[in-house]
Amino acid sequence: MADLRLESVSKSFGQEEVIHDVSLEVAHGEFIVFVGPSGCGKSTLLRLVTGLESVTSGRIFIDGVDVTHVKPSDRRVAMVFQSYALFPHLTVAENIGFGLRLAKTPAAEIRRRVAEVANTLRIEELLERKPRQLSGGQRQRVAIGRSIIRSPKVFLFDEPLSNLDAALRVLMRLEITRLHNRLQATMIFVTHDQTEAMTLADRIYVFNHGRIEQSGTPMHLYNAPANRFVAGFIGSPAMNFLPAKVRRQEDRFTAAIGSSVVPLDRSLRNLPQGEISIGVRPEHMSVVDPADGDVEATIEIVEELGAEVIAYLQIDATAEPVTVRLPPQRQVVPGQRVGVRLAHESFHLFDSDGALLG
Amino acid sequence: MADAQARVAAREFNPWRAVLVISLGCLAVLFLAPTVGVLLSSIKTTREIAFGELWTVPRTIYLGNFVEILTNPAVPHYFKNTVLVTVPATILSIALGVLAGYVFSKLPFAGSNLLFLVIISGMFFPPQVILIPLFQFFNALGLIDTLWPIICVHTALGIPICTLLMRNFFATVPNALRDAAILEGASEWQVLTRVALPISLPAIAVLATLQFTWIWNDFLWPLIFTQTDENRTIMVGIVNLRGQYSVAWGVQGALSLLASLPTLIVFLFFQRYFIKGMTMGAVKG
Repeated sequence: MADLRLESVSKSFGQEEVIHDVSLEVAHGEFIVFVGPSGCGKSTLLRLVTGLESVTSGRIFIDGVDVTHVKPSDRRVAMVFQSYALFPHLTVAENIGFGLRLAKTPAAEIRRRVAEVANTLRIEELLERKPRQLSGGQRQRVAIGRSIIRSPKVFLFDEPLSNLDAALRVLMRLEITRLHNRLQATMIFVTHDQTEAMTLADRIYVFNHGRIEQSGTPMHLYNAPANRFVAGFIGSPAMNFLPAKVRRQEDRFTAAIGSSVVPLDRSLRNLPQGEISIGVRPEHMSVVDPADGDVEATIEIVEELGAEVIAYLQIDATAEPVTVRLPPQRQVVPGQRVGVRLAHESFHLFDSDGALLG
Repeated sequence: MADAQARVAAREFNPWRAVLVISLGCLAVLFLAPTVGVLLSSIKTTREIAFGELWTVPRTIYLGNFVEILTNPAVPHYFKNTVLVTVPATILSIALGVLAGYVFSKLPFAGSNLLFLVIISGMFFPPQVILIPLFQFFNALGLIDTLWPIICVHTALGIPICTLLMRNFFATVPNALRDAAILEGASEWQVLTRVALPISLPAIAVLATLQFTWIWNDFLWPLIFTQTDENRTIMVGIVNLRGQYSVAWGVQGALSLLASLPTLIVFLFFQRYFIKGMTMGAVKG
């Protein structure tokens, strides 16, 4: 049985509908990531699951029970907030035990369970401190501690890493993965950072304008994006999009990128003639001599990252800059004229509305 | 070299700074002068004061004024009445302000902004406008010459400023704290009492100090609503120490000093919160 199921959930604020008919299922123990740009409705959806916001239509089931009209504290969900939302006047121990104290749990039992949680999160020495005396990472752990003490059915994380610096974010990502492995709990994690989504998720839901654009495993979304939005959102550096014109030549299709013509996959049978967009991942492009490439380009900026080189190029035929991922030994310099070879078999073709072709 | 010295000299003498220091010094003297006058009058005989020696340094410290007010049977009544008015009116106005401020800030409803403005507009009515209708109202209820009208009026007049301050303070309390508490099982009342109020102590300290001082020092309403010495508050009591044909400057000075002690104690008690409360939100913590 799914731990969480949403059936045609919609949410409006006044006249404006921000969540449009969203249905999804989360199995027990799954780590799900809701990803999407700011304002796409992912955090609102999380608040609908908690009950902090009520749905306009649709139903929410947790562990098979319809909780659509159940109050937040009875839904057996716990949430870690972006700002941690620790109570500043309480110690760490009091913060973690806050819910148990409200539920009038005996003091000895609260102490025992707080100690247990502190041990799990390795924050025993912080229990008597106030939140202002903690670092960002420690606050994060305390917020997680407060969420796990009541053994909820579903854990919800609302962009919990976005206030941390880059190094700490990586560390906390690992911590959360370890915690998930240890607790085997159902977790839903909201982020606008596709790297977090790719590294944490068993399955990702990509949101845009209050709708699910696509769901699937990280690699499925990476390799087979359902539309141009997902293709551009998942992957870093982002996928390149080259404007092209489709032509039919006898039994096969070709695409004209400016004055250069590249062949398209032989298996394609049905393509509209006219303007399309060719999506190519940075690692599916290579830099060669100007005469040997599919298109010619000028190198603008080179970022040497040690394990790889990221080069930003201006293709002659298009106004769009493109990004190419190169092996570290590849020597390129800004201003250099190069040819760019495209891996034709890795093309993703989209029509002018962003829908996948072929 | 000479250039550098000139620059240093220019930095050392800043005329604006001097003007500022002198202005602040003058202001401090202006503010403190009446207090010093009261202090000096309290330790001088009425005769000395009558001969125009109020501002001279006293040759001897005369404590007869203090003895006189401490043995005056009306004075304990004045103090008792003032406490009976000030403490409940301060607590009630702050309590109502907290409740209203929380609702306006965290639980807005259709028309709540308008209602908030209506409540706040109460601050801008001069008391003289409502004086006569209120007198008639309490007279009709038979409450003239009791402390009840003073408590009621001060509670009501305190609601706008208490609501304004608490609403603005609660607005700075992140909504995520309320959300977190609700998810943990807190009711709205528990969110207020266990989360919002404990972190609002600086704002409450500011309000407690202001309300206590205003109500304690009020002269107008007790003058209007009380008629006998048994029900006078301290500020009216000070005036009542005046004789029919003479002005007891020394005795009044002594009682004024004693009367200002409670507000001073309240301010000292709350001052560390008070300063924090007044500057709250000025810098990002």
